[in-house]
Amino acid sequence: MFKFRMPASARLRIYAVRQLYRKFLSENSREARGLRLMRDWLSPTQRMQFDSSGSFDVIGCDSGKRYRVYSEMVPNVRELDDAGRPTVGFCFIPIGRLVMGDVMLAQKIALETNERGALAVANRFRPGRVNRRSYWSMPGLF
Amino acid sequence: MAVQIVMDHTGDSRHCFNLDDAQALASAERRFKELTGAGFTAAVRNASGEISKAASFDPRAEETLFLPRLVGG
Repeated sequence: MFKFRMPASARLRIYAVRQLYRKFLSENSREARGLRLMRDWLSPTQRMQFDSSGSFDVIGCDSGKRYRVYSEMVPNVRELDDAGRPTVGFCFIPIGRLVMGDVMLAQKIALETNERGALAVANRFRPGRVNRRSYWSMPGLF
Repeated sequence: MAVQIVMDHTGDSRHCFNLDDAQALASAERRFKELTGAGFTAAVRNASGEISKAASFDPRAEETLFLPRLVGG
């Protein structure tokens, strides 16, 4: 029986088209739109930190304390001590079914413009292990 | 061209308008009041990238972002 075998060049072409399509889809998904908006509003330093680690640091406007916002399911905000160790975790989110990028951006803006207000509504927790599965690690988003 | 960006379940919704168009400005101001009245926080950023809260409509703001009210998670 005749068995059709596609040439390597054609397989490569199909693979490239699939990759392109997947990238296109992810770039137009709500998650990708949220992440793009967030990256756009990060400072250059925060953007660089986010791209390399999936988290970024924010300085609270009232206390001057440093917080780290992680790209993971909430609770994802931790206050850091001088050595960069997480001391307290905070859980506060914008209402509505928002994507991760929007949530992280809202948390950043809240801490940078209204730290007291954000912490007033936040629930506190003891920081534990960082969630390994983060949006940042989703393939094809960047 | 200025833009008002509203965070929502689609990622965001954008409303672009011409700063020189009085009717578009009035519409943008109305949107600002409706959203902040509904509990959204308005944030603007200046040319150097610094972000601040906007308590009232600024007709010169080129980019305004509206965030839903925060709650404890």
